[in-house]
Amino acid sequence: MVVSDPTANERLRRIESVTDVALARLKVEDLLVELLDRVRELLRADTVAVLLLNESRQELVATAARGLEEEVYQDTRIPVGKGFAGRIAAEGRPVIIDRVDHSDVLNPILRQKRIRSLLGVPVLAGDAVIGVLHVGTLTDRAFHQDDINLLQLVADRVALATQARISQVERTAAAALQRSLAPSVLPLLPGLELAARYAPNEEGGVGGDWYDVFTLPSGWLCVVIGDVVGHGLRAAVVMGRLRSALRAYALEGGGPAEVLTRLDRKVQHFEPGAMATVLFGQFDPSFERLRVSSAGHLAPVLAVPGQPTTLLDLPTDPPLGVRFGLRRRTSTVELEPGALLGLYTDGLVERRGRTLDEGLDVLCDVVVPGPPERLCADVMATLVGNQPPDDDITLLLMRRRVDNEIVPLELTLPAAPGSLRDIRRAVDRWLAGTEATPTDAADLQLVIGEACSNAVEHAYGARGGTVALRMELRPPDVFATISDTGSWRPPRGRNRGRGTMLMQRCSDELRVEHGPVGTTVFVRRRLTGPAS
Amino acid sequence: MTAATVSVHKDGDEVHIAVAGELDLANAGLVEDEIVAAIDNTATNVVVDLTDLLYMDSSGLRILFTLSGRLEVLQIEMSVVAPHGSPTRRVIEMSGFDSLVELRP
Repeated sequence: MVVSDPTANERLRRIESVTDVALARLKVEDLLVELLDRVRELLRADTVAVLLLNESRQELVATAARGLEEEVYQDTRIPVGKGFAGRIAAEGRPVIIDRVDHSDVLNPILRQKRIRSLLGVPVLAGDAVIGVLHVGTLTDRAFHQDDINLLQLVADRVALATQARISQVERTAAAALQRSLAPSVLPLLPGLELAARYAPNEEGGVGGDWYDVFTLPSGWLCVVIGDVVGHGLRAAVVMGRLRSALRAYALEGGGPAEVLTRLDRKVQHFEPGAMATVLFGQFDPSFERLRVSSAGHLAPVLAVPGQPTTLLDLPTDPPLGVRFGLRRRTSTVELEPGALLGLYTDGLVERRGRTLDEGLDVLCDVVVPGPPERLCADVMATLVGNQPPDDDITLLLMRRRVDNEIVPLELTLPAAPGSLRDIRRAVDRWLAGTEATPTDAADLQLVIGEACSNAVEHAYGARGGTVALRMELRPPDVFATISDTGSWRPPRGRNRGRGTMLMQRCSDELRVEHGPVGTTVFVRRRLTGPAS
Repeated sequence: MTAATVSVHKDGDEVHIAVAGELDLANAGLVEDEIVAAIDNTATNVVVDLTDLLYMDSSGLRILFTLSGRLEVLQIEMSVVAPHGSPTRRVIEMSGFDSLVELRP
């Protein structure tokens, strides 16, 4: 029987061995293994293992082991409260078994190894048990208070390392999420100017707030602002699911109230306990009218030229995730030319030392029917200033352009077949603001479609590329340029090459320039509408 | 992604194929497969109805030209329905396809 009886010097050596600063430079995984090796040697143990509680906090999972590596390989799980390790986790204090009676030990690996004596301590983060560290010997051994102290010291190092690893994993996951959840680029639209700000409060760079702007196949433009209650990764994950579910439900058709009803059903069934406020609107293709439904979200702010800025008096239904089976309402908001509508989350207007109503008053004071991009900066400067925010802040501004203001259309999309329809939609919207007749529009669609198809089919190799379209109205002509950065190869296959003929017939002037950095198609088409 | 629906109605030896929606490079292959699959060698007459086709470019013309060549070999009559003034009618007329195949109405 081995009795450990360390002298004072020996004790010091042991402590130094596991608090060695060199350990701090190791990566977390290597640190755990190094610590386990050292403790195995110091305590002259045959096995050493770290088990950590899983997310449900119901089970211990073998995370690192020496002399017992199979525990990790086999993903050994021990229910809290059961067996040796389970008891330590449940009671939060050290347990010694001098002579293992295999009815105490749940883990078949410990039995197979014929372990005789065991000492285990809880791994604690603050007061909470996050795991168990235990050592075992194949010969009989009486563990002493010194051994417990040393093992507890190691357990504290393990706790720190584990916490560091969890936050490292969370940070990496949050960064990956942030990339996948970052708001999509706002579309450039002929009739509506958009600008947005998103300032997540969380360190990981994602929070429960979101905004979204997308077009439906019908040509309706959807705008969304939402706020998932809660913080951190959990709220961000729910946000990501809601954002994509809302898009999917919107694609299925139906008005805003219908879409939010479906989303609510989804939240109540699949995200129990989650709650979110969402405002969802659909613009008709002329942007004159917005159909909108609010699930407990703050009222949008409306600024009309020549009138005081107000909060929209919309009927507001309960947030998502609150009550099943209620009837949600859709209302219609008219947006006159030059008017600006602002959506935001409570983080923008709520601040310590300022009531919500005061915040809303400040918002109404600063919002004017001006260019959205500059206004975004003004609103953020006034309401956020240099105060570190307590919450995520999201702001989405949209302003209907004045009718006679036809700005050039510019868009760049992947040179892929799937972009062709999006290009047609954008061209349709842009032309809707001009006086193009249906024939003018059909001709321009065709010539642009053919030029873009050529870029898709002939410009690039397997790596792909982009196709850019610019349209400008110089009455009575529309000028369009379609450019890529590849080099066209001759068409392949039979019954090809009619595209060029269509392009020529549908334009008044057509020029194709193959240059060293790509191909550009220049089109001029005279509008035959009443203005010309 | 561009979407079109192809509905097929068989009436004796005549196959009526209606293409609705939009037709471009993105879905031309799919649409062509569906059209071709609807025509077996018992057919004597094929009507391609483009009344509800809102957009068609040269990839649609390619389908029509290829189909008319194949049906000629199979001795199957072909006609195309495209209303006067529709964008589809315009594309077909510009291509000269109407000189190969009967265009209705």
